[in-house]
Amino acid sequence: MIRNYIKIAFRSLWRHKGFSLINIIGLAIGLTACFLIYINIKFELSYDTFNKKFDQIYRVAVDVRHPNAPVITTPAAFVQIGPSLQQDYPEVEANVRVLGARFLVQYGNSKFQEDDIIYTDPSLFNVFTLPVIKGDVKKGFEAPFKVVMTQTMARKYFGNADPVGKSIMLDSKYPALVTAVIKDVPANSHFKFDMAVSCATFEKLNPDVLQNWAGIHGFTYIVLPKGYDFHKLESQLPAFASRHYTQADKKEGVNYGYHFVPLKDIYMDTIRGGPQVGDLHNIHIFSAIAVFILLIACINFINLTTARATERAKEVGVRKVIGAARKQLIIQFLSESVVLCLIAFLLTVIFSNSLLPIYNQLSGKVTNTTIFTHNYVFHLFIVSCCIGIGAGLYPAFVLSGFKPVTTLRGKFSKSGSILLRRTLVVAQFTISIVLIVGTIVVYTQLNYMRSQPLGFQKDQMLAINFSSDPAVQHRVELIKNELKKIPNVASVTASRSLPGFGNGNSDSEIENKAGVMQQILIDAYYVDYDFIPQFEMKLAAGRIFSKSFGTDTSKAFIINEAAAKSLGYSSPSEAVGRKLLQWGRTGKIIGVLKDFHFQSLQEPVRPLSISVDPDFNRMLTLKITTKNIPATIAAIQSKWKTLVPERQFNYAFVDETFNAQYAAQVNFGNLFMYFAVLAILISCMGLFGLASYSTIQRTREIGIRKVFGASVTGIVNMLSAEFLKLVVLSALIAFPLAWFIMNKWLQDFAYRIAINWWVFAFAGAMAIVIAFATVAFQAMKAALANPVKSLRAE
Amino acid sequence: MIKISNLEKFYRTEEVETIALNKLSMEVATGEFVAIMGPSGCGKSTLLNILGMLDDPDAGSYVFNEIEVAHFNERKRADLRKHNIGFVFQSFNLIDELTVFENVELPLIYTGVAASERVKRVEEVLDKMQIMHRRNHYPQQLSGGQQQRVAIARAVVNKPKLILADEPTGNLDSSNGNDVMELLTDLNEQGTTIIMVTHSEHDARYSHRIIRLLDGQTVMENIMV
Repeated sequence: MIRNYIKIAFRSLWRHKGFSLINIIGLAIGLTACFLIYINIKFELSYDTFNKKFDQIYRVAVDVRHPNAPVITTPAAFVQIGPSLQQDYPEVEANVRVLGARFLVQYGNSKFQEDDIIYTDPSLFNVFTLPVIKGDVKKGFEAPFKVVMTQTMARKYFGNADPVGKSIMLDSKYPALVTAVIKDVPANSHFKFDMAVSCATFEKLNPDVLQNWAGIHGFTYIVLPKGYDFHKLESQLPAFASRHYTQADKKEGVNYGYHFVPLKDIYMDTIRGGPQVGDLHNIHIFSAIAVFILLIACINFINLTTARATERAKEVGVRKVIGAARKQLIIQFLSESVVLCLIAFLLTVIFSNSLLPIYNQLSGKVTNTTIFTHNYVFHLFIVSCCIGIGAGLYPAFVLSGFKPVTTLRGKFSKSGSILLRRTLVVAQFTISIVLIVGTIVVYTQLNYMRSQPLGFQKDQMLAINFSSDPAVQHRVELIKNELKKIPNVASVTASRSLPGFGNGNSDSEIENKAGVMQQILIDAYYVDYDFIPQFEMKLAAGRIFSKSFGTDTSKAFIINEAAAKSLGYSSPSEAVGRKLLQWGRTGKIIGVLKDFHFQSLQEPVRPLSISVDPDFNRMLTLKITTKNIPATIAAIQSKWKTLVPERQFNYAFVDETFNAQYAAQVNFGNLFMYFAVLAILISCMGLFGLASYSTIQRTREIGIRKVFGASVTGIVNMLSAEFLKLVVLSALIAFPLAWFIMNKWLQDFAYRIAINWWVFAFAGAMAIVIAFATVAFQAMKAALANPVKSLRAE
Repeated sequence: MIKISNLEKFYRTEEVETIALNKLSMEVATGEFVAIMGPSGCGKSTLLNILGMLDDPDAGSYVFNEIEVAHFNERKRADLRKHNIGFVFQSFNLIDELTVFENVELPLIYTGVAASERVKRVEEVLDKMQIMHRRNHYPQQLSGGQQQRVAIARAVVNKPKLILADEPTGNLDSSNGNDVMELLTDLNEQGTTIIMVTHSEHDARYSHRIIRLLDGQTVMENIMV
């Protein structure tokens, strides 16, 4: 029986090729979009699950509370916390510290700046599941200057040779022994590294840091027993914290709150942050888009099948007369829809497999490299079958319910499902228009952020990162002067940070309007005298750093307007001359800069302090002219080779790096646009199908109208109006919905656009034009047909 | 075999009520070949639909094989129908997606006949209708006469006691029409009861008895000799 159903299903699909094509292609496109989103989300939600102790690992996070100041939450902890916790509480099975590091790494002739290095304890390899390929991670790693590297790094420096037992050079002065090679850290790990250097190395290089419980460095992870309720231990942490307050803490009244963050929550922890943070918000948005696109494709199926009901009514009648029970007919129609969905399933597998690289490129993140993993395809198969049954159910019930007496007489009337079809079309276009509005808003916002004045000169600024190499720091003035001699180099400045490159912050004390020294976590820039003039930052009050004041390298600070405001000053000039304490340096505020955007416009401009400190400089920035930029870069490179032969010439343009901050938003916008295009495409395919059935049904009416003098335009208008009315209705529903959703999305941006009326006008007009183009073709065909033929056919 | 008495059927639209059958009574004995004639709208097709249990009467009694079926629900009627009644239509009503063989096989599938038995019976009946050579063709590849022979094959494959034919020659030329009438006569001679609605006096002459309807009532009965 089932074989018979499937056979008939295939024949029926083949006979109605147009209908089948619209349905299958529409479903396959919808399923592909949905599937790609699904495996991406699945990847995002799979973070850290590769660890065997996934549900036992916790990150220790410290909150800092200064008196009269908001709590500062961090994802990090003091380096002493891990070992102390394990010592004090037997429940703690293991602890490991992970601290970020950078080194200039050299082996033989291979020399590269490596920024993804960690200092860590040997226990790292017990806590996290990081398979060893060669060597022994347990032996020797507790000593200083021992290195474990990933497979990729091993290949980069050693080619096919075995790195274990060989010595590499760190920062040209510390030889370090490679003790093991591990597999690359999985892509879905919340922290990644290329090389692990033993924590003892850190202790050797920074002996003072480990002595005090001050300064929060890096991440600490602990392992608790399986099934253990971590709140039990967490509740004892206040007592633990109070045992470890320093004299300074007690004097200042600083409080620390210790927390355990389960490994499963770390990647999505946007409040505390961390090296890699996912976006639950985006996951929700894209899940919704996936469901909607699939819904649109399913609606096509329901609509086209019920629209074809008249065509199939006779068949239903015949089958019933011959003896088919309703149940048998339902099964028959369901098998047809399941067969159709399974063909779409096969196409989806082909589409998804070939589109995966493009999708990864669009989303800016390589998640899965193949769809043939994690049973993804099996899930897709199940979903396809469910869609076949789900979307086929309604048409199956409608079709199988026809009475043979009426259908065989041909007096079958268009049933009440017209209302349903119209409702579904409105739903499709509502979703499509919301997506179109969304796309326009996302792009307008991106454009807005990229075109806003930033408060500093970002163009033609070439930044060379020398990774705070002391060899450069000590000769910085000489190097600057040499670089300035290159034609087309206008000026050179050295600094630790640059706008868009990220910067550190400092727990500082600044005199506020009331004259009290106020604790404030302030973003900190360390620069030289040329920095502010070169970047053309504007002064709001006071003066900028000057060599003519001998104390500017030790006692002068400049803050921005945001900092002045946060300290209660109503005008910037009031802040000038006030006291400031930072990193043990006591000085005065000599000037207030107008706010400039040192971060993306998603963030408000935060309080910032700027001071001159040559020992902190990490990069050199050259202002070059627009004249023959490649030649200038080449000249700078060759000069760099003679000046700093031991360092690679790593450079970036400030404007490009600054705009790269929007990469995530650009990817988001691109994905959004593609899905909007797909949604409208699938909706229009459905509309095309519906329009063609509708015109077939109205052939006789059109014939009669023409006989009695209707014009072609009149008929085209009449037929199109039927559908355009639906699109207009969709627009009216979509506008407030889109406004609500996108307004919510915009709240994430400190600097944002207002959604203009033209966005809606444009989206609505676009939907109407596309819908009209879709329907008009069918309408024209019907209107141009010879009425004699259509009347005779009846 | 069939006894109907005081059968009534109305068609209602929003404002108008039309009487299709007006207290109609008649009987058909097993083995009879009855033709029903009358002008358009006289209730012929309505009567045939009720006799075929595709439709139910609004009033009156319908006894089929000594069972009162007038108030059967749809499922019961369908069950009775598929085992006892074969239909032949003016417009053949073959399913376009199925081959000749599969069209004829369909009633056997719905009555749950085993596959091997189905093949045997379909081949038997196709042979009898002299359409065996077309068994793998689709309906649209056949002439009208051939299509109607397939339709008759489909009607008889289940060995029904009663065949209801609604203007079986209406879409055929006279030569093909005569062939179809010969086939029906043969079936009748082998014991199948036949009730046929027709406009054609020529076709009606193949029957044993002609019942003439007008406005939902019997106006005349002719017994053929």
